[in-house]
Amino acid sequence: MGIYRRRRIVNGMVMGLAVAATAFGLLWLVLVLWTLIENGIAAITPALFAQMTPPPGSAGGLLNAIFGSVVMTLIATLIGTPTGILAGTFLAEYSRGSRFGEVVRFINDILLSAPSIIVGLFVYEIVVVPMGHFSAWAGAVALAIIVIPVVVRTTEDMLNLVPNTLREAAAALGAPKWKVIVMVSYRAAIQGMVTGVMLAVARIAGETAPLLFTALNNQFWSTNMNAPMANLPVVIFQFAMSPYADWQVLAWGGALLITVTVLFLNIGARALASWGTFKQ
Amino acid sequence: MPADIALPRVAAAKSRRGAIGDFVFRNVTFLFALLVLLILGGVIVALIEGALPALRTFGFSFLFTDVWNPVTEKFGALAPIYGTLVTSAIAMLVGIPVAFGVAVFITEICPLWLKRPLATMIELLAAIPSIIYGIWGLFVFAPFVQAYIEPAIINSLGQVPGIGALFAGPPLGIGVLTAGFILAIMVLPFISSIMRDVFETVPAMLKESAYGLGATRTEVVWQVVLPFTRIGVVGGIMLGLGRALGETMAVTFVIGNAHRISASILQPGTTISASLANEFTEAVGDLYLSSLIALGFILFVITFIVLAIAKFMLLELQKRAGS
Amino acid sequence: MSPAAARHVMPLAPPDLPETDAAPASHQKVLIRNVDFFYGAFKALKNITMPLHDKRVTAFIGPSGCGKSTLLRVLNRIYELYPGQRATGEVLVDGENILSPGVDLNLLRARIGMVFQKPTPFPMSIHNNIAFGIRLYEKLSHSELDDRIESALRRAALWDEVKDKLRQSGLGLSGGQQQRLCIARAVAVRPEILLLDEPASALDPISTQRIEELIAELKADYCIAIVTHNMQQAARSSDYTAFMYLGELIEFDETERIFTHPKEKHTEDYITGRFG
Repeated sequence: MGIYRRRRIVNGMVMGLAVAATAFGLLWLVLVLWTLIENGIAAITPALFAQMTPPPGSAGGLLNAIFGSVVMTLIATLIGTPTGILAGTFLAEYSRGSRFGEVVRFINDILLSAPSIIVGLFVYEIVVVPMGHFSAWAGAVALAIIVIPVVVRTTEDMLNLVPNTLREAAAALGAPKWKVIVMVSYRAAIQGMVTGVMLAVARIAGETAPLLFTALNNQFWSTNMNAPMANLPVVIFQFAMSPYADWQVLAWGGALLITVTVLFLNIGARALASWGTFKQ
Repeated sequence: MPADIALPRVAAAKSRRGAIGDFVFRNVTFLFALLVLLILGGVIVALIEGALPALRTFGFSFLFTDVWNPVTEKFGALAPIYGTLVTSAIAMLVGIPVAFGVAVFITEICPLWLKRPLATMIELLAAIPSIIYGIWGLFVFAPFVQAYIEPAIINSLGQVPGIGALFAGPPLGIGVLTAGFILAIMVLPFISSIMRDVFETVPAMLKESAYGLGATRTEVVWQVVLPFTRIGVVGGIMLGLGRALGETMAVTFVIGNAHRISASILQPGTTISASLANEFTEAVGDLYLSSLIALGFILFVITFIVLAIAKFMLLELQKRAGS
Repeated sequence: MSPAAARHVMPLAPPDLPETDAAPASHQKVLIRNVDFFYGAFKALKNITMPLHDKRVTAFIGPSGCGKSTLLRVLNRIYELYPGQRATGEVLVDGENILSPGVDLNLLRARIGMVFQKPTPFPMSIHNNIAFGIRLYEKLSHSELDDRIESALRRAALWDEVKDKLRQSGLGLSGGQQQRLCIARAVAVRPEILLLDEPASALDPISTQRIEELIAELKADYCIAIVTHNMQQAARSSDYTAFMYLGELIEFDETERIFTHPKEKHTEDYITGRFG
């Protein structure tokens, strides 16, 4: 057969494979979400939000786990966001081409993709061991360490997008550098920075490994930050791996809750990111 | 209106305050940037410190011994290391071609109106938390694999002399293959997204000159786009590998948690992160705990090297694209 | 220079520029003396010496890369934001050398205003855009601040268009309006000197004309230096012109003389369009 015809067949095959690959990827997304909804929806009852995690064999809910997740996520965000923003600001505004800045950027990107279970081990060593027990504080710190690199990266990227002429215009009026950054650069980059925080929160909302040996779990309702605290991911882990049917149902319910939250935050972050471009 | 010439004294005072503000702000941001370095330093120190008892007791043979006995307190990391590497290898083998296909589709074939939503959907695969994949894997995927996929593999590839041993054994559903496959689904959005970004950096003129000579799409991708973006593509693959190596929850649910090395990938095994997740809180005895931390340290070193290589390659690509 | 050629370069200016005899008395506000400028190792300005007169407009003209913007940016030391850029020599403002190391840069820049090529409104309300600079160094009551903002906007010929939307974002204005906002922002802090870096190059012809009218009015109170690649604009709007080429000052003189009887052949070549 002619060369051209063979080339065309090859091309058709490859393009067909590309389409197949995309369909393949999407298939799994649909499958996972579908079974999640199918299995989890049964567990979404008012009781889920009203009752505590039960012992096996009895009915119950996930209230203490939901509370624990919300509290630890919130505190992690409160610790990690300002830290990340300030570090990212240094990289964008003060470290033009300096060696130190390059090293920090490099290390930050490594931390960004590092296994979260290692973070859990680290916080175990520096918080749980000295304290002598597991605690919600340790869990929050572990989640904060995951938040920080994300916020550093997005802050630096967003600040780098602020045009230099804007900074010059502020400096030309006699503004000291810190005012230029805080009152002009931050203002210009705020949308992107908020998006970054939302993505960071979406990331830690579903993280299990860092909580496994820091906050551990708690069967009962607890507001004590100094003690182990229930949280959705670890509860799901425990309940799903167990042989008890009612526990497994609760696990699916928790999984559905987490996924809805995470997808909501993700899509919300994207919507926020593109809102500005339409505005201009 | 006349212009004032002399600025009042309040201006000089405000300027001094501005200088103090500059000093404070600069140093505060510097300290927090330093904190990032300290966190990594702390991780390394903490891991080494925790792993030291085990490393001192077992020495280098820790890396090569396949034993895991909490009772006699004999530990060796070979099985978890093997499991980590094999599951990641399977993830790469399946994930890279699929990610490549997705990237090619989105950049070359996909109609413009579909690009954004499609890219978002693929990225949602990355947003789904690991534990969701785990629970789905355990209750939905593994049974399916056990009922249909594994019997098919055993009856076909398992009968081939030589490599048949790789696919032997009763169909259990859970095991190394299943874990590797789920990992592939989890890392493909990362690899695909970087490939996409990197493909888009190819100058349109370059592609157009190839098309203008009558090249097919496949040929343009294979002979123009890929060579141009080679470094970035490899960087993206390394990044995906880094993720696969460290992935915990999804793997823990479906790998079977057996501290042994089997020839067949259809059998259960364990990975470093799965061992940690399962055993850490139950570990009794300092040597047991220290061995687990040593596992963590090994994982950290492996992922650090892989991620550092990925970062170097992506930086290299940035430099070239900039010039 | 032949009369024919002179007619060729005669600016087609509207005749309503104030006559030199009726203009306020002027003295030398700024003296640039032996200034060199370096981007790293590259010498971009070579031994520039020239004056800027108070209540007059001085235009810097020349082909791309001649250093006219670089020279302008020396005057408020905005180049200090970038490591690797430095200036040597002296720039005397009312007798004091502003290039000396002990000078407070922020206070200096509050005395010397700058308007850039592209409009750069801050991402804030129009009110706050202008208040930003004022609040840096003055403590004013609400009503005093509002008065200053109104008078700045009036000077920039923008008041009527924005007086009802002061609380709206400055980004919502058109390009020409944004640039006038930047001018208002610059004059609101009552500087002594105004530096304009091709202020109309990014604007349409109508906005350009309004900006030029503005400059003609502002001249009465400020020492103005304007960089422009538009020769007709320089001829129309300025009292003095400096022609620069490859980092050197080729010729400096009253605008009318430069455009009718340039002393240097280079100047004549540029003005008649033989290059650039």
